[in-house]
Amino acid sequence: MASNDKKYNNIELMASVASRYLEDGKVMFAGTGIPMLAASLAQKTSAPNLVLVYEAGGISPAASMLPLSVADSRTTYRAICNASMPEAMEMNQKGLVTYAFLGGAQIDPYGNLNSTIIGTDYYNPKVRLPGSGGANELGSLAWKTLIIMNHSRKRFVEKVDFITTPGYLDGPGGRERAGLPPGTGPHLVFTELGLFDFDEKTKRMRLKSVLPGVTVEKVVSETGFQLIIPETVPVEDEPTKEELRLLREEVDPWRVVLRRGDNNAQE
Amino acid sequence: MEVVEQGMGQLFSRTTPDDFRKAMLEKADTMNNDKRMDLKEAIKRFVKNGDYLSIGGCSIVRLPMAFIHEVIRQGLRFRMAAGTRTFDIDLFLDNDRVLEIDIGYILGLEMLGIPQATRNRVRDRLKKGDLKFCEWSNGTMAWRHKAAAMGVPFIPVRTLAGTDSFKFSGAKKVKCPFTGELVVLVPALYCDVSVIHVHRADKYGNCQIDGMLNEDVEKARSAKRVIITTEKIIDTDEIRKDGSRTIIPQFYVDAVVEVPYGAFPTNMPNLYYLDLDHLQIYADAAKDVSGKALENYYIEYIYGVKDFAEYLEKCGGKHRLNELRGIELMERN
Repeated sequence: MASNDKKYNNIELMASVASRYLEDGKVMFAGTGIPMLAASLAQKTSAPNLVLVYEAGGISPAASMLPLSVADSRTTYRAICNASMPEAMEMNQKGLVTYAFLGGAQIDPYGNLNSTIIGTDYYNPKVRLPGSGGANELGSLAWKTLIIMNHSRKRFVEKVDFITTPGYLDGPGGRERAGLPPGTGPHLVFTELGLFDFDEKTKRMRLKSVLPGVTVEKVVSETGFQLIIPETVPVEDEPTKEELRLLREEVDPWRVVLRRGDNNAQE
Repeated sequence: MEVVEQGMGQLFSRTTPDDFRKAMLEKADTMNNDKRMDLKEAIKRFVKNGDYLSIGGCSIVRLPMAFIHEVIRQGLRFRMAAGTRTFDIDLFLDNDRVLEIDIGYILGLEMLGIPQATRNRVRDRLKKGDLKFCEWSNGTMAWRHKAAAMGVPFIPVRTLAGTDSFKFSGAKKVKCPFTGELVVLVPALYCDVSVIHVHRADKYGNCQIDGMLNEDVEKARSAKRVIITTEKIIDTDEIRKDGSRTIIPQFYVDAVVEVPYGAFPTNMPNLYYLDLDHLQIYADAAKDVSGKALENYYIEYIYGVKDFAEYLEKCGGKHRLNELRGIELMERN
């Protein structure tokens, strides 16, 4: 529905919209998949001085084709430093990293993320997922966490099956009570339906804007918890021709990530 | 120090700092040996069934694939460190070669998705109690190696707190004895064996690595035995020209095995890019939840070949490797 004219698929749409929110000149950790896609696009458009740090140690590589792994040689291509996982994570732990950008399988109203199991019995899950990866560190330590994921009632749930990565935990002050560094937490959530931020007082997720062609009702019906809906909800711009060209010709010419959106081009 | 909260996960490596010191004392005597040998000899001498194994590289980059294939052919089973593991841990899991895993990241192939057959096999083995997990994260796994590399029993970190990842880990939350603030402690991870694929090493095991290091500095320093597979063996004079390039010095290393293209089909920075086509063959096989397609994959590429060189031939040999070299270097000029 977001792309009923099939000019672009959902991945292209999400990456284009997210890329515009990446702040030039800031240090950002990007996880695998759409976060890297959006980051690579932003480097070629609005954020040429975005400093990317990859968890395996690549620090500030030059813009190139999309890395297919958080470790591949494109993460150290003309990098200012080939460092290590401890160094990259310690940059985060020391407060040098403004943004972390990651995905997840489930999210709750406080931005807590699950990427470990579907089901409630850890020892006998319905589905075993990869686990934290670097997500727990990113979500614990970066000043502002950016999250990108597909939107459905199965994914946007009142209570995640397993908190892999901390959002605001049980609400205001939750992170500080748990012993996480103060002043950190989820900042924005990007989906194929809309953008979301978190209410300053309650720390609950709030609709910020919708993607082209999406209604507020649609967002509400696809969300398994009560969203805060502001009075006015702006609509994001469609991907520009230039964004699509860059994504298709320069960022991911092999369509390794882009093609994952091909099946749901008119979902 | 007051323990405020603790995870219920089991610790799979029980090696203590003092055990490790004893192992290092023995190793110190072999420091100046010429350690060149072939892969079979290195495995025979330094790898035991049931060892706690930590593999170098990261995800689908610089994995010691020749070693992985050979231990799978030999039927060895391990307990494993699994921060940032993808293709390697999946191959072990498909063949039931792992008993216990400290998990940072498993079962993913990054951009290539999740191997369904492998995932189902893991779920079934978990249910039977045939496979044990302890939950961590990539950062804490790296820091656990780092603590062992330091020779200490644990390291304080500021992650895991407040999550179920903590609850199912072996971490403890304490009040800092200096400030009273809450902090999480993770135990040092002393390993039996680490295996790392590098770009260049001399016969003593002084190693140079290009590209990301992940936690290989720490892995080489936190295992009782270290096997290095290398693209190339170089003269010690080359090493001595610039000692700042030595990522792993000889005194940690037990075996040096020359295996050109030993990381194929994963990426070897500056030398060859990952073989997306071959990884896709694996990913496609893993989509067949009957397991039949994976079985065929293993017969074709691991059990049905005598060694890694034959596997490389099967995957397109020199021609394909040159293409991957071209892809790796295409943006370099």
